[in-house]
Amino acid sequence: MVFSSLFFLCTFLPVCLGLYYIIRNRTYRNWLLIIASLIFYAWGEPVWISILLLSTGFTYLSALAAENHRGNIKGKIALIASITGNLLILGFFKYSGFLINNINGLMGTGIKVPEVGLPIGISFYTFKLISYIVDVYKGETEAQKSPFKLLLYVSLFHQLMAGPITRYKDISDAIENRVETFQDFNYGVSRFIMGLGKKVILAGTAGKITELFMGTDYSRLPLLGAWFGILMYALQLYFDFSGYSDMAIGLGSMFGFKYKENFDHPYISKSASEFWRRWHISLGSFFRDYVYIPLGGNRKHRIRNLFIVWALTGLWHGADWNFVIWGLYYFVLLVIEKSFLLKLFEKLPTIISRLYLWIVTLVGWVFFYHNDIGQAFRFLGIMFGVGDNGITSPELSIHFWNNAVFLIIALIGCTPVFSGIFRRLKEEETNSELVWFIETYSKPIFNIAVLILSVIFLVGQSYSPFMYFKF
Amino acid sequence: MKKLKIDTIFFIILITILGLANILNTNKPTVSNLENRALKTMPQLSLTNIVNGSFQRDYEEYYSDTFILRDNLVKLSRDVNELMSFLGPDISIVKSVEDVQLPPNMQGDEKETVSPEPTGSETHEAAENPSSTNENTEMPTPTPEPEKDYGDGPDVGYWMVVDGKAVQLFKFNKESFDYYAQILNKYNDKLGNGVKIYSMIPPTNGEFMQLKKYKGITDSQNDALGYLKSKLNDSIVSVDVFDALNKHKDEYIYFRTDHHWTALGAYYGYCEFMRTRGDTPLSLSEFEKIDLGDFLGSSYTKTLDKSLEKNPDNIVAYKPLNNHEFTIYKGNDGTRADIIDMQYAGDISKKYLVFISSGGATWSKVKTDINNGKKILVIKDSFGNMLVPFLVPHYEEIYVVDSRFYNMNLTGKNIVEFVKDNGINEVVFCIYMEDVNWQKFMSGVENMLGSEN
Repeated sequence: MVFSSLFFLCTFLPVCLGLYYIIRNRTYRNWLLIIASLIFYAWGEPVWISILLLSTGFTYLSALAAENHRGNIKGKIALIASITGNLLILGFFKYSGFLINNINGLMGTGIKVPEVGLPIGISFYTFKLISYIVDVYKGETEAQKSPFKLLLYVSLFHQLMAGPITRYKDISDAIENRVETFQDFNYGVSRFIMGLGKKVILAGTAGKITELFMGTDYSRLPLLGAWFGILMYALQLYFDFSGYSDMAIGLGSMFGFKYKENFDHPYISKSASEFWRRWHISLGSFFRDYVYIPLGGNRKHRIRNLFIVWALTGLWHGADWNFVIWGLYYFVLLVIEKSFLLKLFEKLPTIISRLYLWIVTLVGWVFFYHNDIGQAFRFLGIMFGVGDNGITSPELSIHFWNNAVFLIIALIGCTPVFSGIFRRLKEEETNSELVWFIETYSKPIFNIAVLILSVIFLVGQSYSPFMYFKF
Repeated sequence: MKKLKIDTIFFIILITILGLANILNTNKPTVSNLENRALKTMPQLSLTNIVNGSFQRDYEEYYSDTFILRDNLVKLSRDVNELMSFLGPDISIVKSVEDVQLPPNMQGDEKETVSPEPTGSETHEAAENPSSTNENTEMPTPTPEPEKDYGDGPDVGYWMVVDGKAVQLFKFNKESFDYYAQILNKYNDKLGNGVKIYSMIPPTNGEFMQLKKYKGITDSQNDALGYLKSKLNDSIVSVDVFDALNKHKDEYIYFRTDHHWTALGAYYGYCEFMRTRGDTPLSLSEFEKIDLGDFLGSSYTKTLDKSLEKNPDNIVAYKPLNNHEFTIYKGNDGTRADIIDMQYAGDISKKYLVFISSGGATWSKVKTDINNGKKILVIKDSFGNMLVPFLVPHYEEIYVVDSRFYNMNLTGKNIVEFVKDNGINEVVFCIYMEDVNWQKFMSGVENMLGSEN
């Protein structure tokens, strides 16, 4: 199930909320959340629950062992066994096809690719489990004595499918002692609506426009069409993913959990390094804390460590070479930025570095989009004027003007202008009445409008006409 | 703050009410007239279905398909989108995936007679809604995962709505035209000298619109036809429908809300065909004119465009006056039908199906009172449906075959045998420009030749 489905919004969520707040007892509430999460997960392919339970089960046991034998070899074995086990499961489901295809390609062998399919959210919960066992081993948190509470952490439906990759130590207290308040609930609803709007209205629209340019017949795509298409794809990715994170944070808040922010207006960054501190923050910090720093971080083999982290980051996003290239592309950018570019940017007007960020990000998304590397380079060629596809086309001008309003709204949506203005208003004592008005009326009314629009769009997206005489 | 804010209260009330309304609404629709398709029905609850996840998927689809006030909300979403494009030039281009309608007889059930219901809806939905989670990338990527079809197979269509008219944009594909020529030449070889072959390709309305400002947005269909001419075998006769229509381009020869030609357009095509054959066409007044009223066709369904909705088409049929007997065959079992079949005239979006009773039979036949020994086979798509009634005064027998519905296993003959056994002496291909430009369609035409070709 996904948050942006009518069934989730109009049946699953109200039933969950209703039962949750009818039940008064913490333990029962936790059980309700576990059951709801498993149903949520089972909505896709129920058999994969077994993998989820298996991973959670042996991580639970090895964490107990790691805690009991902290500091000696047994503890280390428990840690390594758990990490290896989790990675093997992830590797088997996610990367075996990729691996076998490459072996076949290199050696000319004909090994059959197993058709296993990918358990939903496995990349996310595997990382959650790894962070848990490592933190227990390092003594940063206590091992969870109840397997069910650990299961609650792993399976909690708010962040099961698409993150954020929460750390156990950040929510362990909430599992036992959270307090649900009206304030959190209000915030949660507001945040959820924002996320829903981002996903359904903005990402949905951007996605429809993207389709008009990306993956079409590139022999006809003009230069500006390529830029417009990749820009729309960039907007789609951002609103889709950050909208999903907003919904997760909002849901958490409705049930008394607080999750860390996962996005912080990445497209206003002034460098690729900054971009990655603002984009999918929970993933970046995972790689920093559990790969980069253990490898030696900045102290030794810095370049090697960066290379590994970025190759893995790419591979985590998808089991294909284009994702590896996309990851390593950021490795190159970060190395260049650290060696001289950031210093140079400090001397130049910020418009240059912002423009730089947009261009390199869009180029990056070209690789992210195209599984076929040849197509990716073909598309890049069009962006930078190779060939004779022309600068623009009548189609492009129609699409551009039809979507100009959307583009403006979406670009504003990438920036923190409104929250910035609001924060500044709040700083001045004299504005208190205005601030009160905005908080009590303007924002809620805006939220209501976004909610209604989102429902309309959600239903609209189910429109799939059957042409029964396209003959 | 110790209380819920108004947006929170609204949120809770809205999702609860919508949820209850959907559960308590027992009178769920099963067909969407707006979309021309059967809606998802409540899936069977069984352990297997739950374990393999199909129940959940189907239920969710059923849930959104039968969502309360769905049609109104769909139209509202269209209105919002239209509002957002107010800076635009009042022209919109819609991309849509063309549907491959499988012949009913390829879907297992062979007993049932040709039904007016959209037979391909199951297949269609499976193709259109791949599981919404993208398994390859880790971001909760865009639900409508863009189809990466680099060949730009014409199963992707672009529809432009301008001045209340919908136009399908033509993107010339050289390989497709080569392929068309190759197939017709093959027919020519197989059928031998005794059978005359005509190629008649109705263009689409995009060719006749005045789109000065957007020159180049649609490729020239006339050039495509010119290209084709050099590829066809000399003994195949091309019927120059393009010129014939061009002379009448200011008349009502195309629908605004549908991609087909009108009966008037088809009439001009027929006249040209007769002249090419050295025959004299009848005048329009020698047919019975039947006004079928308002029509909102395929282009409207595709685009849901408001300017089309406000200004529906008028659809007219011309019925031949000489005595004839029209039979549609399911396999080799014939059923009598009307060549202008009024059973389809009720629904505003389906009226095109009146022509030769939807054209969806395995094959069909008109036996007339003209005893001139002339027997023709029309190999057609839905453009050809309009042509057939006009041929009735000129032939003793007219056979009609559509490659999507013809099935050799049911008739026991490939098309060459079909032609020989029925003593057919003329074959006309009446397949419109976009299908000629679509190899998937033409490969169906090739397949009718049988496996030993």
